[in-house]
Amino acid sequence: MQFDRVDRHLRLRFEAMASRNEVLATCADEARARAALVAACDEVRRIEAKYSRYRPDSVVSRINAAAGSAERVEVDAETASLLDFSARLFELSGGLFDITTGPLRRAWDFRRAREPDDADLARVLPLIGWAQVDWDGHGVRLTRPGMELDFGGIGKEYAADRAHAVLAQAGIAHGLVNLAGDLRATGPSEAGRPWTIGIQHPRITDATCASVQLARGALATSGDYERYFVTPDGRRCCHILHPRSGRPVTHWQSISVIQPSCVAAGALATIAMLLGADALSFLRDQGAAFLAVDQSGCLHRHDIDLPTS
Amino acid sequence: MAATEARIGSVLAAALLLPGIAIQAHAESAPEQGTVEVQALDYRDWQPGLQRIRVKAPSVYVLAPIGSRWSVEGSVVSDSVSGASPRHHTAVSGASRLSERRNAADATVKHYGAHEGWSLGAASSNEHDYRSRTVSGTYRWSTDDNNRTWDVGLGRSDDMIGSSNDPTLHARRLTWQATAGITQALSAADLVQWSLGANIGHGEYSDPYKFPDLRPGHRSQFTSLLRWNHDLGPLDAVARLGWRYYGDTFGVRANTFDAAWVQSFGDRLQLTPSVRYTTQRAARFYVDPVYSTSLGEPFPPGYDGQHAVSEDQRMSAFGALSAGLRVDVKLDARWHLDASFERYEQRGSWRLGGDGSPGLAPFSARWFQVGVACSF
Repeated sequence: MQFDRVDRHLRLRFEAMASRNEVLATCADEARARAALVAACDEVRRIEAKYSRYRPDSVVSRINAAAGSAERVEVDAETASLLDFSARLFELSGGLFDITTGPLRRAWDFRRAREPDDADLARVLPLIGWAQVDWDGHGVRLTRPGMELDFGGIGKEYAADRAHAVLAQAGIAHGLVNLAGDLRATGPSEAGRPWTIGIQHPRITDATCASVQLARGALATSGDYERYFVTPDGRRCCHILHPRSGRPVTHWQSISVIQPSCVAAGALATIAMLLGADALSFLRDQGAAFLAVDQSGCLHRHDIDLPTS
Repeated sequence: MAATEARIGSVLAAALLLPGIAIQAHAESAPEQGTVEVQALDYRDWQPGLQRIRVKAPSVYVLAPIGSRWSVEGSVVSDSVSGASPRHHTAVSGASRLSERRNAADATVKHYGAHEGWSLGAASSNEHDYRSRTVSGTYRWSTDDNNRTWDVGLGRSDDMIGSSNDPTLHARRLTWQATAGITQALSAADLVQWSLGANIGHGEYSDPYKFPDLRPGHRSQFTSLLRWNHDLGPLDAVARLGWRYYGDTFGVRANTFDAAWVQSFGDRLQLTPSVRYTTQRAARFYVDPVYSTSLGEPFPPGYDGQHAVSEDQRMSAFGALSAGLRVDVKLDARWHLDASFERYEQRGSWRLGGDGSPGLAPFSARWFQVGVACSF
């Protein structure tokens, strides 16, 4: 955790959720800005601790450990809201957005670049599907042993929104939360100027393929470059896996979405990646501003403000 | 295509149900930069065949933050007024020429808390025949998510009325002013505000420059203001609509409707065209320009010097339209220019329903204002 300055902003950089993050604020009262940034960072870490599947004491680990048992695991109000949201996303996306795809990780080994065969996938696919989750609004039960919940698809974005709320509550009028590329702006950068956000080039590390202007609201990007390997016959396998086939998506290199909240932007970007060719009409129907990069590297954008200068 | 639900914003609507995710309105926070603004106003009004009043008013406004919780703001203005004093009916005769200077100043201290704030202000205005002093206070508070803000205010004015026509006139008018309002963010793009105001006063209301003009010694005024601002994000524009109702114990009732379109062109230029329509019912004691057969002009029929009577055009029934344009130019992070022009036309026949006060000449006015502001 370290403070530094970027232009007129005070910045706090920290690691959480297995990534590098930063929160920025501009405020005449530096002590207040520092306190707000630390509180925002604490909020991100609280959510990480609560929902990480790597921590045995997390809510998620507790639910997953009880998979196949007859009892529902009772959850608190915040977790209930996230489960309700996940259920709604499953419904709105026609089953594409699914927080039960965790078992696919047992078939896919991205570190060893191992592509599973149909038999491998056939073993885990029956464990996937929100429809098999018994959720009554208070308690949740995974009906088959081996099933898993994973909030990885919304946790970081939710944390960005919550960190933003912490900054806003502290009276920060010019702030930015950046959790490894999922961003939420707390007001403009300064005196009405929007933040200029570079969009990661999907194929060139350390390069951006576009810049967008964000005065308020959130930007989230879903891309095939975060975790992937290339098969011996040259196919790129990324970590965004289709819940029904268990295979990686291939239509888009990346999709960035702007929405008033980060969790909505992130969910739309993920659903769009999974939709393939239908992504752009879906995003337009949802009233979302977006920037999409197709497999040939062409940009498709809608309602996105590019920098004027 | 997968069976996705294509209702606009359905994913966002679901996201907003998460705790702490609702799009938060900003609490009014202490300004981080000070501002100095110099403005010049040029006002003229006229009726056919007569240039009435011309006002030139340079003013200076200063806003200074003090720490992160306080600000002080104040302004001074010096008007030079020349032309005819307000007249009864529209007769050209009897309009005394005047040349006047008005000096006014006000100052406000504001405190900004996390979800509440208050302000205390004082204002003073001096002319050789009119002096006004006002003190006021406001308090506002918001819900935790700042989506709803309430405010209340209380003020007290003490006015002293004199007359260059009558050096012995030293009349007083005391007024209590109360306001209450609620502002609600209905969505990330919609802000609705409803404010109620009441002024309860007693003292001298008659116009010393008009004869005959005799008004009741008490006046209570009530206003209700409803505003709706809608942010049209994709167009980079904000639409503003407002409706104001006014009623007082003189019997005046007025409804004003206004609409403005705030259009941004990039970060530097903003154009705001606006229109406004007012329709007003006359005061109970307003008399039409029909004169007593025995006393003749300017005395109305049945004039006895006892009962309230006024021939002031502002107390008549009329309709008025105005249109304006404001231009804001941001030169850089520190410098800001603005200019606005507004034209006002008032006619008896423009009253809603058309039954306005008869026999009055059209009344026209225009404002031109330029300002330059610097933040520090």
